Amino acid sequence: MKLLPKRFCKLASVFLATSVAIGQAHAQDVLVMDSLAISNRSGVENSLQGTVAGLRVKDWTGTPGTQSIINLRGLSLDPTNEATAPLILINGVPVITSPSNVTGINPLSYYSPEQIERIEILKSVDQLAAYGVQAPNGAINLIMKAGKAGPLHLRGSASAGVNVLHDFDYRTDAFYDFNSTARRKVFESGSIVHQQNILVDGGGDYGSYLFGLNNYSDEGVLKSTKFGRQSLFLNAKYNITPKLKAHFYNNLALTNRDGRYAGEYSRAFTLPVIEDETFFMDKKRNVAFLSSIGLSYQLGPGLSLNTTAGISYEGASRDIYIPSNILKGSIYASSDAYKRQLISIKSALKYQPTLSNDWTMDLTLGHELRATDNRLTSVGGSRSLESGGSNFVKVVTGYNANQTDALSDHDVEQLIGFYGIGKWSYRDDLKVNLVLRTDGSSLYQNKWGFYPAVGVVYNLANTLKLPVTAKLSAGKMGMLNRPQAYRGELVAKGDYYNGNSLGIGQLYPAFRDAKSVDVTEIDAGLSFQIAPSITFDVNYFNKTYQDFIYKRYLPNSQGIDYQYETGGKLGLSGFEFTLNGTWVHSDHFTWSSNLNLAAYNNQVKELPNDLTNTSLAYLSALSEGDPITSLVAYEGNQQKVIGNSEAKLFGGISNTLRFKNISASFVFNYASGTDVLTESFGSRYDAASVDHQFPLKNAETPYYFIQGDAKNPVYQGIRTIEPASFIRLNKAVVTYHMASLFKKNQRVEDFQLFLRGDNLATFTKYSGFNPEENVAGVRRADLSYTGTPLPVVFALGSKIVF
Amino acid sequence: MNIKIYSKLWKLIPIVVISFSSCTDFLSVTPDNRTEVEGYYTTAQRVDQAVVGTYVDLRRALLSNYSWLMYGEARAADVTVNVDFQPYVAAQRLKVDHYELKQLTDWGYFYDVINSANEVLDIVNTAEPEVLSEYQRTLYRGEALALKSMAYFYLTRIWGDIPSGEASDMGQPLTAAAAVDRAAAYAKEAKDLLPWVLLNDDGIESAALTAVRFNKTAASLLLAQEELWANKGSEALTTLQALFADEASLSGFGLSLGIDRRTEIPETPLSGTMVSMPLDRLNSLYPEGDTRRASLFTVSASQGTATLIVKDQSKLDLLKLGELNLLLAEAYWRSGQLEEAIQYLVTAAEGATEDYTTLSDGTFADALLLERQRLLVGTGQRFFDLVRFGKVSTFVPEFSETDVQNGAAYWPLSESSISGHSLTQSSYWANQQ
Repeated sequence: MKLLPKRFCKLASVFLATSVAIGQAHAQDVLVMDSLAISNRSGVENSLQGTVAGLRVKDWTGTPGTQSIINLRGLSLDPTNEATAPLILINGVPVITSPSNVTGINPLSYYSPEQIERIEILKSVDQLAAYGVQAPNGAINLIMKAGKAGPLHLRGSASAGVNVLHDFDYRTDAFYDFNSTARRKVFESGSIVHQQNILVDGGGDYGSYLFGLNNYSDEGVLKSTKFGRQSLFLNAKYNITPKLKAHFYNNLALTNRDGRYAGEYSRAFTLPVIEDETFFMDKKRNVAFLSSIGLSYQLGPGLSLNTTAGISYEGASRDIYIPSNILKGSIYASSDAYKRQLISIKSALKYQPTLSNDWTMDLTLGHELRATDNRLTSVGGSRSLESGGSNFVKVVTGYNANQTDALSDHDVEQLIGFYGIGKWSYRDDLKVNLVLRTDGSSLYQNKWGFYPAVGVVYNLANTLKLPVTAKLSAGKMGMLNRPQAYRGELVAKGDYYNGNSLGIGQLYPAFRDAKSVDVTEIDAGLSFQIAPSITFDVNYFNKTYQDFIYKRYLPNSQGIDYQYETGGKLGLSGFEFTLNGTWVHSDHFTWSSNLNLAAYNNQVKELPNDLTNTSLAYLSALSEGDPITSLVAYEGNQQKVIGNSEAKLFGGISNTLRFKNISASFVFNYASGTDVLTESFGSRYDAASVDHQFPLKNAETPYYFIQGDAKNPVYQGIRTIEPASFIRLNKAVVTYHMASLFKKNQRVEDFQLFLRGDNLATFTKYSGFNPEENVAGVRRADLSYTGTPLPVVFALGSKIVF
Repeated sequence: MNIKIYSKLWKLIPIVVISFSSCTDFLSVTPDNRTEVEGYYTTAQRVDQAVVGTYVDLRRALLSNYSWLMYGEARAADVTVNVDFQPYVAAQRLKVDHYELKQLTDWGYFYDVINSANEVLDIVNTAEPEVLSEYQRTLYRGEALALKSMAYFYLTRIWGDIPSGEASDMGQPLTAAAAVDRAAAYAKEAKDLLPWVLLNDDGIESAALTAVRFNKTAASLLLAQEELWANKGSEALTTLQALFADEASLSGFGLSLGIDRRTEIPETPLSGTMVSMPLDRLNSLYPEGDTRRASLFTVSASQGTATLIVKDQSKLDLLKLGELNLLLAEAYWRSGQLEEAIQYLVTAAEGATEDYTTLSDGTFADALLLERQRLLVGTGQRFFDLVRFGKVSTFVPEFSETDVQNGAAYWPLSESSISGHSLTQSSYWANQQ
């Protein structure tokens, strides 16, 4: 080592530590952000693809600023529902993470990967039960970087690159194929992606500080659909007294996304509307703020009190204008604003007495309060050119009342939880984790639910001299059931007596038995230390979800259409395998890998009786054992399961190599066992026009969907059923560490040049552009629920640390 | 740990206790994006909204798909409604696979009226004393009972045997006779509760309000109709005679028109040329010299049609005062008092070309039926009259007497009406496509 410069040794050791961290990560489910191959795309989730067994991140669209679909052992009655997504926390504080339906901007794009220290992935029930009804489908905790000891450090990084639609065959692309050649002009290869980050930090006896800013911009492959983010953040820790410590975290992000592509408004245009379909205003703006304050007080030896209060706020607005050449003579304008806030307060008393040399104990008693408040206002209207509209006036004013739609909606939900967590450990051999939690929700009359869990980890190394650790946990969690229905709901029926008396009546009666979905889970796992630097983990889990809320349609002599009920049972189980290894480890060359694989199976275990008279009637083709993610269509007059939208196998392969001062990471991800149904553009019929018999078409499947409404049903033929299995070189990063160039300048700790690539190659038999582009496994004829083409992104950048 | 710390901790206990006790408040959220049932009916105005809601339900039941005519004159082929399913109804092809026609075979909207009326009764019975005045309490109960009576009466006239919509025997089948008895019992109770004239919000008697809400006259007319349907002539006579006892001002009942937020019912369903009659039918029904035809129809000789004149577009008359003399005539006739019966029929039929003074017991029924057809055109009663007078097979060429005995005069049951009830399709409709 003496032959190598000191700085290089330091760098190598950091690199090694991070390589090991990757290796360890999967056992402990902690990912160190700087050790990951970071994505050029906005959205933290894109850097997690293929890294953890069981964490599925679906790259469904190329539109910048859109959230990829995130699933971590998640399931619900509607598999595309946001309820299936994991709980996401920033430094343990719950934040708004689902994209608002006003702008669709991804809240996980408010943070740059540069801000993140590490990511904790929580999957097992003994870790999740402590969150009660908040994390039935896993949790991801982002721990943000904090200041390190020393007077001042400065880190700067910047990169710039391009989006490329390589190997782009318009004949197979969903967008081109179904419509006009004019749409080719919508796409733009070579658009710019760039970002800049600055972080300043330091620390001492007083505490630590870190602040910074970043800018991100992605022009996207659809012309004029640029996405941008600017953020300022602060992470400060202050030791008020030796016993009292405060922690402040703030992140303010401004994001914007423009859309001028007519296809985003409606993909059902049957003819080329205008030459390039881009004369269109659609401005989306989000302001997002996260602020948290934590106080920690050391009451005595082993006894401390911690309180954290957090506010996550997002203001989303969208202004839209559509000119008359798209709407055949009318112009349309609307403005929507959606303000969401999530306030959480968490307090915990922590007691860690010294029991003996062998035994340790850690007890936590806590209380959590969570309040969400979402408010939507929307105004929109149209007017024809004949009645005074102008194609050159982008904001239409002076609508007649009957041309304007106005809407205001307000949704409030409150939650209180009390919990106790006990952790005991005996030497390095045994760890026991016991969680008891009770949650009260404003959604129900019987507010409180009880969620216990227990977990045991036993290391056989000492007792049996085997390099094996066994894990077992079991417990119960909850998933919130909406809407709030326990007090019944009234409906406005109509005007009477000169239109000045409003008639009202019952929409549905009170449902006093409403409660959360019960989610029970059993986890078992073995971890083998095959060699000092090679581990193999296998985990099994089995989750059962029961008592979903649904509507029961009543006999028509009851005078009321429906009432709510709970019922139904789903199961999700699977095996997860992880192999971590450092195969070569020398001064000049290091090679480490991670291979992870998840084999999942979801199934319907029980459906309500008399299913056809419920709002779950659409599941009537499924029988016990069928996946809830089954794709169902008609053949003749019968419904039939003809595919599965969810992968049976998925995972990732990562390799990290270092040769002298060049390092490289390659991440592949893959999925197998998914089907895609493609709707036909040609075989679509009004049921009445074909005498209620779907006409079979050569070269297409015999299957069809029934769409439209009860009055005018429409038969939509299915052209193909095809597998959407794939393996993708998801990310590659090559880094050249050049700190040695600055050996004379002691202030420069690190300097890197890097080349990063995303979505570099996809190997699949799927005929479309991206095997993950269909949200629900169906490529609709109007392409609703199908993403835009996913570009390859290359970026060249540098990073310097003082 | 020292005692100081403990003493600080004890001070926190009241805070903890207070925060625990405030949990219930914190977890009780009243959404402002919708209106919840519990705790809503705290003012008279809000209870009134529930009553109005029941009228709106009745309006939907009778107006959607022009059902009041489809169940009445359109099915009897007296009038033509300008909608594409009318020819099926006139041809008695009631099971054709047509969306609106299927809706017409579904009785759900009438049961909405019954359910809403029962809700009103519950609300009134459980309302705090200060919420409703005695007048309001009595009025709302009376209106709810009258609306419920009317719904049952329509149901059984359209479908015969029907399920109960009452909580005590929900879904249990009622024979046609039992359903009419039930309807009459509600109407009788309503008649005793309702005032002759309703008060408006300022406490002033309002004829306009009385005309679109149930009142004592309207409930009595309804009760008389029900009693005559059950062939209880003398009881109907008593009911009708009571109307003249205290010389009150009488008012009929019609449905106020307006926007229904749940369906696509046209705001003014009788507007334009929507309801008409072929000219030759008009001429045979109202022969030249009948002075009433000009006030009932606008004749367009060039198009060969006569369009129904609607005097008041804001109201659909269901129980017209003009029916009073016809009902009295029938009540006297069914009570065996032909002379009085003729007297009332002659009064009712003023403007007719026929001489009714010479009617006998044997010819009275036909004359009464004809005058009811002429005078009540547009109120949806014609087909029910044919059933009541046993004349369906006479006037509807598609049906033989056997067909009528097999249930042809009633409407077929929709799939959703059959499911969940122990009722079966009549043998006539079971054999139709």
